[in-house]
Amino acid sequence: MKKVVCYLNQFFGGVGGEDKADQEPFIVTEKIGPVMAINAALKDAEVTHTIVCGDNFMGSNTDEAISRIMDMLKDVEMDLFIAGPAFQAGRYGVACGTICKAVQDKLGVTAITSMNVENPGVDMFKRDVYIFKGGNGAVKMRQDVKAMTDFANKLLAGGKSEGADAEGYFARGKRQEKFLEFKRENTAAYRGVQMLIRKMNKQPYQTELVIPAKELVPIAPAIKDLSKAVVALVTTGGIVPVDNPDRIQSASATRWGRYDMTGMDRLESGVFKTIHAGFDPAAANADPNVIVPLDAMRAYEKEGKIGRLHNYFYSTVGTGTTEAEAKRMANEMIPYLRDDGVTAIIMGST
Amino acid sequence: MKLRIGNFPVSRVCLGDKNEYDNGTLTIDKQGAIAYLKECDDHLTDLDIVIANPGDDTRIVPVVETIEPRCRPDGRTLFPGVTDAVVPAGEGDVKALKGCCVTVVAKEYGSFGDGVIDMGGEGAKHTYWSQLINICLVGDTDEEFERHEQQKCNRALRYAGHRFAEYIGQAVKDLETDDWEEYNFDSVSDQAKRNNGLPNVAIVLQPQSQMEALGYNDLWYGWDMNKYLPSFVSPTEVLDGAMISGSFMPASSKWSTYEMQNFPTIKELFAEDGKSLNFVGVIMSMLNVALEQKERAAIMVRSIAKNLGVDYAIVTEEGYGNPDADYVRCQVILEDAGIPVVGISNECTGRDGFSQPLVTLDSKMNALVSTGNVSQLIELPACKTVIGSLEAMNRDGMSGSWGYDEVLGKSARDDGSIIMEDNNWFCGDHIAGFSVKTMIEY
Repeated sequence: MKKVVCYLNQFFGGVGGEDKADQEPFIVTEKIGPVMAINAALKDAEVTHTIVCGDNFMGSNTDEAISRIMDMLKDVEMDLFIAGPAFQAGRYGVACGTICKAVQDKLGVTAITSMNVENPGVDMFKRDVYIFKGGNGAVKMRQDVKAMTDFANKLLAGGKSEGADAEGYFARGKRQEKFLEFKRENTAAYRGVQMLIRKMNKQPYQTELVIPAKELVPIAPAIKDLSKAVVALVTTGGIVPVDNPDRIQSASATRWGRYDMTGMDRLESGVFKTIHAGFDPAAANADPNVIVPLDAMRAYEKEGKIGRLHNYFYSTVGTGTTEAEAKRMANEMIPYLRDDGVTAIIMGST
Repeated sequence: MKLRIGNFPVSRVCLGDKNEYDNGTLTIDKQGAIAYLKECDDHLTDLDIVIANPGDDTRIVPVVETIEPRCRPDGRTLFPGVTDAVVPAGEGDVKALKGCCVTVVAKEYGSFGDGVIDMGGEGAKHTYWSQLINICLVGDTDEEFERHEQQKCNRALRYAGHRFAEYIGQAVKDLETDDWEEYNFDSVSDQAKRNNGLPNVAIVLQPQSQMEALGYNDLWYGWDMNKYLPSFVSPTEVLDGAMISGSFMPASSKWSTYEMQNFPTIKELFAEDGKSLNFVGVIMSMLNVALEQKERAAIMVRSIAKNLGVDYAIVTEEGYGNPDADYVRCQVILEDAGIPVVGISNECTGRDGFSQPLVTLDSKMNALVSTGNVSQLIELPACKTVIGSLEAMNRDGMSGSWGYDEVLGKSARDDGSIIMEDNNWFCGDHIAGFSVKTMIEY
């Protein structure tokens, strides 16, 4: 028998209404409020515990609330966590999202919740948590509990998600492959030509890739006095010491390195090379400065054109590397750059 | 231009001492074929022919190329400018052995663009090739200059594959078949006379041409497409061997020569020609790396489309990453010219699926077909038989596999099981149109 833990606010937990919204979190083994329906709908699984917490307490003392709840759950075995449904109740929705994310991050247990599309918790947590598309009020309790528990039963039985649309939760921005049955009508060729015909005839069609809103990085303001700037060199061109000590991958990189240039006037061929697999490496191996322009920067340093060069360069490989990995690696590099007071970065692409 | 393809179904392939096709059984003179191929190219030091059948518990790696065995009864060469002199393609009769492919396999050393085929088990669904009888040409060469290079031209092996496909095809040279596919491609002026009120549709092909060094890119009548500019061509030329695949690009994003010979999206456009649209042909572009080259290509595609009177277009790219810039630019410039587009490509959303799907995006692209995620992780058990070398996955910098990862270990494990990215399936995202994969939100 699999074990499930639930989360309810003060109202659905039977404590009281708005006047009890400061209720501190507590844990019970009785099946209260919506948990009765949730428990009844589970197959080969039982709700063993329920956490109840006031919406204001969670909203105003979030860290404290999470810490206390994690403490309550530290010895509780569970296979799945279900919060809500929260309908259109804003604070309750945010609380469900908050605790679901904490349970997933800290305890490694999958969490499910349900909210109405208007609930601010949807946008805040849909990337992290399975949030089912719920009704706007408790009158939809039966449907919302069924949607969550159908999916819970599937996951508890070892099944996998068939996708956000098929299951009924909000799309999370997580795009992965789906295999269709092998027949002509399912081939990309057929899908493409038929989509074009529908587009031609002004009939509705569904693009398979909805272009998401752009995440643009603004262009940095110009440097007022270059002669005082501390400049660093960063590259996705894969320049590394010839033995590639950090074992940076030649494509789809998840690793990066920082390499000391103290006392060097240029990067020597044979000492540095590129491990990037996305371009012809001949020129960069013959002269690594074409990607990490140490020679030119040292000249500027001597001329006083720049204040000084930061003594390390930072390198990874850009080909096939995902935006998420690139962002993570950049965030890992930033503290080193800040420590040395770097004020400008030359980002060498290839 | 009128091209007829006569189909000869192959249900069984045997290795023997003669070349023969009889009622679905294809027999190949193994020693004769090896001797012929070595005679054509003395760089081939080692050749073997091995058959892998659908459902076999067999893993093939590193796969360099797949080609459909065919013959031209008029004696014209199968791949002009490659297997023989440059002569016109796209008209006349060609005979094809259906249900099988020549699969070129490097015996020992892989290359960035080489991939994996599983004939059975869970891995079989990842490529179209598992449904065909794979006539594996496994070889090694004396091309020592690139033996330990990550990027290999693989010229001797690839060209041997094309010659072998032609050699095998000779078995049906004098045989009759009732199963003919006809591709009638009317000239632009004849199409104008149709006066049927249907919109004019072109397909823009963006074949792989990113390597500045020659010998790695797709060839058009034997011409390296890095040194090429967009032009208007007949779809029948593509189906008739005017274009062959190269050795560059992560494997799952490639179009193999087999896919060019059978280009599914071109065939679907022919199926609608005169019914729901007028298929006005192929605008053959390319995928060079410099921004100015990309812009020039997009401008020329737009110009050709406008001058042909194209109303709607399909755009498809052989690749991902840098080529996405061409793929997106071309769609946007056509949309801006009043030519609505459908795009067909794969995506790169990362192992966790949360990354931006294409390197650049534009909201003008509102009709896209997605054929897979290059970075999706796959873990599969060992196969009983390996054709080629599993170690190539660890050692040779094949796309989507690796020799070291502190969490995942190496791609080809000592027990024969593998872990790799989708990138490493040979043509696994089948962008040319065979793909039955799509991408959804999870």
